[in-house]
Amino acid sequence: MTVGIEYYVLLSAALFCIGLFGVLTRRNALMFLMSVELMLNAANINLIAFAFYHGNLTGQVFALFTMALAAAEVAVGLGIILVLYRNFRDVDVTVPSAMRW
Amino acid sequence: MVVFDLSEWTWTAMGPALVLALTALALFVFDSINPRSTNRPVVAGIATVGSLASLGVAVWYVLAGVGHPDTGGAIDLFGGQLVVDQMALFFMIVVAVVTALVSIASYDYMRDHAYQAEYYSLMLLAATGMSVMAASNSLVTIFIALELASLPSYALVAILKDNKGSVEAGLKYFLIGALSSAIFVYGISLVYGATGHLQLEAIAANLDGEYNGLLGVGVLMLIAGFAFKTASVPFHFWAPEAYEGAPAPISAFLSSASKAAGFVIAFRVFTTAFPLETMTDFGVDWALAFIILAIVTMTVGNFAAATQNNVKRMLAYSSVGHAGYALIGLAALTVDGGELVLGAAMMHLLVYGFMNTGAFLFVALAEYWGVGRTFEDYNGLARQAPIACVALAIFMFSLAGIPPFGGFWSKYFLFTGALEAATVNPALLVVAAALVVNSALSLYYYSRLVKAVWIEDPVLERETLTQPAGLYAAIVAAAVVTVVILPGFGPVAELAYDAAAMLVG
Repeated sequence: MTVGIEYYVLLSAALFCIGLFGVLTRRNALMFLMSVELMLNAANINLIAFAFYHGNLTGQVFALFTMALAAAEVAVGLGIILVLYRNFRDVDVTVPSAMRW
Repeated sequence: MVVFDLSEWTWTAMGPALVLALTALALFVFDSINPRSTNRPVVAGIATVGSLASLGVAVWYVLAGVGHPDTGGAIDLFGGQLVVDQMALFFMIVVAVVTALVSIASYDYMRDHAYQAEYYSLMLLAATGMSVMAASNSLVTIFIALELASLPSYALVAILKDNKGSVEAGLKYFLIGALSSAIFVYGISLVYGATGHLQLEAIAANLDGEYNGLLGVGVLMLIAGFAFKTASVPFHFWAPEAYEGAPAPISAFLSSASKAAGFVIAFRVFTTAFPLETMTDFGVDWALAFIILAIVTMTVGNFAAATQNNVKRMLAYSSVGHAGYALIGLAALTVDGGELVLGAAMMHLLVYGFMNTGAFLFVALAEYWGVGRTFEDYNGLARQAPIACVALAIFMFSLAGIPPFGGFWSKYFLFTGALEAATVNPALLVVAAALVVNSALSLYYYSRLVKAVWIEDPVLERETLTQPAGLYAAIVAAAVVTVVILPGFGPVAELAYDAAAMLVG
């Protein structure tokens, strides 16, 4: 017995919304980064479930690429958070606010 | 015309992007041999020669007719993952031109920076990503190329590590960029779910209307990704911050090349994968979404620009406004045509590549002199630096769309294209009206800057201003092209229309 495709979509949508909620409410830059990871992994669940559903491998291969890109994004992000900490002595994303319109 | 046979060596069609990638690698090699080197002439020279070589290859391909219908049409690479056609080459030219101008200007601007080779190699890697974006023909390659363009850009914005403004700008750019790429990839996964394919033609062939809800949400999320890359509403918040805090040559690079690359993937995805006639049948009318986005983007950008006191921030909001003008290219597409307006949008992005890069490089020159950031600080600069100020006046009037300059022609073609499409879809009359009203408004704040440098008296006495050769060369080159593009507009327009007709027709 296989699990219906709609349950996978529900799971990934829930994960995506949790990530989006984290992005909108968290002030710590590291928590922000983790929330973005949740959103990216929600897309991976979709890609793999749909690859199974459609019977082609495109989605699974793309999921591998997404994971690699997510890792690269985290590397650059951590670098930026590091210089943020050196300059502001904090990783709160609301602290740097010199530029406002 | 040289007859060009690529049948054995099809991968060479990606030449312009490959040259940029090789240049980035050459810089890495130089840096690994000589890690602490701050030999600016060599690294800036490698970057400039590489981007000019990429420009040369792209222009040569266009002249030789690579990807032209007469010589066998678009070249598919790797099973249609990449496609080199007229539009791809057109935008590779835009990216290469902006990269070359910015690398020349960075020679002077980044003179005290400790990490020279890193700066140029990040810039060339980002340019490689943008060049590949121009040729991407599958949601996979689009996403990878987009990330290759974005990740070095985040680092470039924050490259002045001890400057709080630069770090703040880098953080904001990164946070919004990471969020929007997560939304974008989720949109890709939904489109994949609805069609079972990621290659653009295969998506179009498999639109069967079975999962319209999934497809509609997916398309909306893709639009969000494009809006981020092109700095359009509702994902434009990063633009003023990132452009203001970043080193000015990087602001020029991002606001011209990165924006053009964002538009090329939007053009390709929406014309190839989601043909308007099929999508309208399914109730996913994306042209309507772009009509709304175009009007809101140009209005928000121009009104916000009019209220700024900081010159760089004014230019940042004006670049949001120009994204709105270029969005008309997608908004005015109709079921039976639209190559005229799509071609006009491409031309606008080319001309914009020169005039906007030039304008930001003038800001770079002012920061190099250390004259300050507001309009008042720029007062009377023309007395000490008349050549650069003539160039500034050309950029400003061209951005506003005053007749003799390139910016007028591309806006004029956008306007006539929108009016033509309005016979099918009356909503475009509003778009055309918004274009005119916003251009008139933009003249106010562009001419304010020209008035400051040419007419006002300086607030403080300044010391004599130096003439950095690299920055001057880049500014003058951009100004000359902004002017001479007028007689050259025939061939440019022809190329843009050919490219658009291949895509739409």
